[in-house]
Amino acid sequence: MTNKIFRSIIVTSMVVLITSLFVASSFLYSHFNKSQVIRLKEELSIVAASVEEFGDDYFDNFNSSYFRLTLVAPDGVVLYDSQTDAKQMENHLDREEIAEALETGKGSSNRYSSTLGNRTYYEAVLLKNGNVLRLSVNQITVGVLIFAMLPAVLSIILVALLLAMVLANNMAKSVVKPLNEMDIENLIENDNYEELAPMINKINRQHHKIAKQMQELNQKTDEFRQITDAMNEGLVLLNKEGIVISINAAAKELFEVDDSAVGRDFLSIERSIRMSQAIKKALEGKHSELREERKGNEYQFIFNRIESEGNTKGIVILSFDITEKAFAERNRREFTANVSHELKTPLQSIIGSAELLEKDLVKPEDTKRFIDNIKKEATRLVSLINDIIDLSQLDENNALEQEVVDLYEVTKEVVEALALMAQQKEVKIEVDGEPCEMKGMRRYLYEIIYNLCDNAIRYSESGSKVKINLKKKNGSIVLAVADEGIGIAPEHQSRIFERFYRVDKSHSKETGGKGLGLAIVKNAVAYHGGTIRIDSRIGKGTTITVIF
Amino acid sequence: MIIMRSRFDEQLNHLRKKMIEMGAECENIIALATKALFDGNVEEALRAKEEGIKIDELEREIESICLKLLLQQQPVAKDLRIISAALKMITDMERIGDQAEDIAAIVATLNGRVGDECIYISAMAEATIKMVTGSIDAYVNEDLSLAKEVLKHDDLVDEAFISAKASLIKMIANNINDGEYALDLLMIAKYFERIGDHATNIAEWVIFSVTGIHQQGG
Repeated sequence: MTNKIFRSIIVTSMVVLITSLFVASSFLYSHFNKSQVIRLKEELSIVAASVEEFGDDYFDNFNSSYFRLTLVAPDGVVLYDSQTDAKQMENHLDREEIAEALETGKGSSNRYSSTLGNRTYYEAVLLKNGNVLRLSVNQITVGVLIFAMLPAVLSIILVALLLAMVLANNMAKSVVKPLNEMDIENLIENDNYEELAPMINKINRQHHKIAKQMQELNQKTDEFRQITDAMNEGLVLLNKEGIVISINAAAKELFEVDDSAVGRDFLSIERSIRMSQAIKKALEGKHSELREERKGNEYQFIFNRIESEGNTKGIVILSFDITEKAFAERNRREFTANVSHELKTPLQSIIGSAELLEKDLVKPEDTKRFIDNIKKEATRLVSLINDIIDLSQLDENNALEQEVVDLYEVTKEVVEALALMAQQKEVKIEVDGEPCEMKGMRRYLYEIIYNLCDNAIRYSESGSKVKINLKKKNGSIVLAVADEGIGIAPEHQSRIFERFYRVDKSHSKETGGKGLGLAIVKNAVAYHGGTIRIDSRIGKGTTITVIF
Repeated sequence: MIIMRSRFDEQLNHLRKKMIEMGAECENIIALATKALFDGNVEEALRAKEEGIKIDELEREIESICLKLLLQQQPVAKDLRIISAALKMITDMERIGDQAEDIAAIVATLNGRVGDECIYISAMAEATIKMVTGSIDAYVNEDLSLAKEVLKHDDLVDEAFISAKASLIKMIANNINDGEYALDLLMIAKYFERIGDHATNIAEWVIFSVTGIHQQGG
């Protein structure tokens, strides 16, 4: 802007200068011409007077390069010329000024000589002796005039130019200075130029509008961010070139990146080929899914195309931690396989015995043993199925009717029921406790105590003791079943409550357990809102404590 | 000029994407070959061979991208380094692919015998996979410290190779019938060792493309 102002000032002043020079010189030129003619006339009258007085001698002394003096006889013959040889010159009778002078005593004319390229003024006067005296002068040409004026003009232009430059520079700066000093942030407070006021107002309005929109936008982004960051699922948005537009906290953790991931190519964050292929598939408009293990957890990734008016805008990637789901699935599969196995074993035994009996292959004295076997296995089967039913009921978590149960009573019942088994194994059961009443399902509470005691006896060696301790403590009931049996290794302790989990992998029937007892205990305790603690050392024994 | 620049950036970006893709393919083929080795799975081994074709294709594609960039854009300074480093790196990546294929080819002849009878080989496999992943990660993130870590890691692989060799000699001494198997394992160990060297090269080129200094190593 400064430059522009500077330039226009310079140009304007130059135009003014040159125009005034031109006008001045044209005035000067016409003035010069007029004064030249007047001077010519006066010179002629002086010359004529001198010639009248001094006669022809005057011509010998005439010496002027400016004027040209010619003497013409009345018949037109040139008698004298100050610049050329008179004898060579032609007859001048037909010259306009000569003819006029001969006639009226005075004559004047001007002619343009194409050969000399300039105009010549002539003045003639009739002398007393009848000759005509003519004086002529060449008009000053514009070129000569300008040439004569050139140094002066040039120095004027130079000085004017310098002056204009300095002034223009200062002026341009002083015009622009307030503009430069404008406070951009607070446009409205600038009142240097009122011409700018409408513009400033408009800019100010837009400024406010933009600020407001930015604020709204930031707020929305913040909201979006807060919502997505609170999600457990990972969420990544990509544009159609695969650049990350947004990534939430869960996804950042999963892909091990920070905020700098936004704006980067997703490929540089995650380059697994399966992932790239899934993204490619999603870009083609097909829904794609992927299951992959990450950091020990199993994740499910879902890829979807984002479309707007039929154009692909990008890709959204959702990731779910399905470790638990996968674990549950695996458990269910294992459970089904185990149940089938556990059901099949007694059935095969029953079928085998029955077939032998059917084909009369059994000696009469053994028949009873076989029938006993069938009965035993069938009973086992029923009890297994009962256990499974219990478990599934506990799984359903149905709110069954609860009653007030005295655990001490239940414990005594259990001890009675297990007395025979304990006797057979030569294990002594000691019960120590007080009446503890609680609300709950009597059948399940019985199952808890029964299964714990049953296990304790089962894994005890003959001669050892099983201690059952029941007491109230800080408003809760603590039931502890301790044995002096084989103990459970630490790596198994967390898993013994899984269905069909056995420390002894051979599923040996030596101990006769079904593998569901502790699973029922766990679920039944959970049903009553209790917790289980296990404290066991190999060879020393196990204490399982249930706190309601 | 600005338009041309942005086109150049776009092409560089494309090159980068392809490089990452090729790196991912390398990781994948090693994973496949290793899995085949330790599962004794001949089918996996054959799949690894197929993957090798993809790597060769990518090498040619990246090569032509690089040459085109060099000819059309005449890059200087860092851009030139990135492109020339890419040209060198794809050679190493292609060799990694080839060697993984070679491992897979040997696995296919083991007739299902699993390659975990020498513990040093699994250690080598693990270490080389880590090196390849590390060098590609270093390229992706222009991570100098990671690249330098890869260089250090190479010594571990070399040590593991020596241990593997010693244990395989013992294996032959114990049972001469295992001779062929032991030699096959030795070859596999050597291939892993070579893969480690190529990963080192890649890491060196990463350092070059970032700093302009190319360390000459093993």
